[in-house]
Amino acid sequence: MDFLFSYLTLVAIFIILSLSTNLLVGIVGIFSVSQAAIFGLGAYIVGYCLVNDVMSFLPALAVAALASLVLNVLITLPSLRVSGDYFVVTSFGIQLLATAAFTNLTEITGGASGMPGIPPAEFFGLSFDSGFKNFLLAAIAATIASLWFALLMRAPFGRLLRAIREDELAVAAFGKNVLFAKVRAAAIAGVMAGAAGGLYAVYLSFIDPTTFDLNASVLLLTMVVLGGARTLAGSIVGPLVLLALPQLLTFIDIPTTTAAAVRQGIYGLLLILFMVFRPQGLVGEKL
Amino acid sequence: MLALNLLINGLVTGCALGVVAVSFQLAYSTTRIFHVAHAGIYTLAGYLAFSMVERGLPDPFAIIIAALICAALGALIQYALYATLERRRASHLSVLIASLGVLAVIQNVISAFYSPNIIPFTSAWRGQMMSLGLTEVQVATLIVCLAVFAAALLFARLTPLGKRIRAVASNPFLAEITRLRPQQTYIIVMAIASAMVAIPGALVAMDLGLQPYNGTTVLLTATIAVIAGGIGSLTGAFALAVLITVLQNLSLLAISGEWSVGITFFIFLIFMLFRPTGLFAQR
Repeated sequence: MDFLFSYLTLVAIFIILSLSTNLLVGIVGIFSVSQAAIFGLGAYIVGYCLVNDVMSFLPALAVAALASLVLNVLITLPSLRVSGDYFVVTSFGIQLLATAAFTNLTEITGGASGMPGIPPAEFFGLSFDSGFKNFLLAAIAATIASLWFALLMRAPFGRLLRAIREDELAVAAFGKNVLFAKVRAAAIAGVMAGAAGGLYAVYLSFIDPTTFDLNASVLLLTMVVLGGARTLAGSIVGPLVLLALPQLLTFIDIPTTTAAAVRQGIYGLLLILFMVFRPQGLVGEKL
Repeated sequence: MLALNLLINGLVTGCALGVVAVSFQLAYSTTRIFHVAHAGIYTLAGYLAFSMVERGLPDPFAIIIAALICAALGALIQYALYATLERRRASHLSVLIASLGVLAVIQNVISAFYSPNIIPFTSAWRGQMMSLGLTEVQVATLIVCLAVFAAALLFARLTPLGKRIRAVASNPFLAEITRLRPQQTYIIVMAIASAMVAIPGALVAMDLGLQPYNGTTVLLTATIAVIAGGIGSLTGAFALAVLITVLQNLSLLAISGEWSVGITFFIFLIFMLFRPTGLFAQR
């Protein structure tokens, strides 16, 4: 039972991350491999605040979400100025830089050995210290994020974002503010990723830089691609399937040292196969 | 003295990176695909050379054979993946994601087959010191990479194939009408670019050892050089790659090595703000 809850908690957290990535990659059409950096920023801020008793969980989560919002907007701004391919460089650069920061700012992050002993979330007199309670917390957060995403998609703002992806120039010609719309989308994606990071930190009580590296960004992209772009269902199916994969791999007898590589290799293979044979993913729209 | 050493080291690594940048420039300006998987081919070349040297092959042959295998792989990626995606009218984003997929597959297959950790290259001549604190393999890197760059320049300017590639790069539609067969040209270009990137890939591995995930940072720096040098300019890509690496090395005097990605990235942001078309832009 504990095992099931830990799987579902992770799924719930990754649904939030998938939605965030989907918003940027699927809906606005910005290639991003730096979502894990935002995720990490949220996790480290909440972790640092709780370990060092700076503030309690809810204010820490709010600070993490705000910082992620600002960082994500800053990252996305170059994509408004320069063409698509240049932004790929920015995105890779931010991700590598974030990994360097998580690893080398040893006094704050604990460096490569990670940050242990993050206390469980506590607010309104409730302590989320068991597997089931953590699952509830993550599930509520994932539900809020899903509702937010679904409402956005139905709102005029959602249609505006889709239109921007189809033809930016036409949207601008209609007098819509393309820049502001993209900044808003990036802000929402940032809040989601940062909040997911905070939840991840209090759930696992230990974080280290490898969770938030380029491989993690590739995993997030794979979730969106496999589930399908631009749909809520796609962002739920993606994490459900891909987080079950490591469990399935434990049935095959491979040494633990190569297990991570095999897993990442499979994510890469899935990216290729889906792009060639099924660009709409399992339950999404064509990317 | 330390500054001089860093400068010379920067020049050597810079020339190796210059060839990576030139090869990426060739592939990118012709096919218009942001070929992220190029980093994987760069890494693979080092491991291929390593395996062959381990089996007793002389180093130069190992490098040449590694380059040939990489050329075949590059051509295969273009033929089987990028061309298929183009036929299916995949969006630019899809091609990019597929390319990232190829990179992940190559890196992790290497990691699973060899080791995720760094492997030192035990070549007979790598430890030999020469004047100015350079090892023999570094001198070889410098000479070979300069030669490859010169050859690439002459090839693009003078040979019929080079002219054909430039024609396809400047206008694929017109090239199609005049029977230059862009799709076939793309395959050739990818093969050439992959063979080119294999040479610094193998030489740098002999100098610094092998690591499956290093290629990403190398390619990132090379693409920054490509953009800062100006899309389409081989000389610009090479010159900027050398410049960035030298600056990166000299920055070690003031800032510790873990932040060198930050330095590179900072240079990129400055270019993006003040000269987004690059120094030697052709169009």
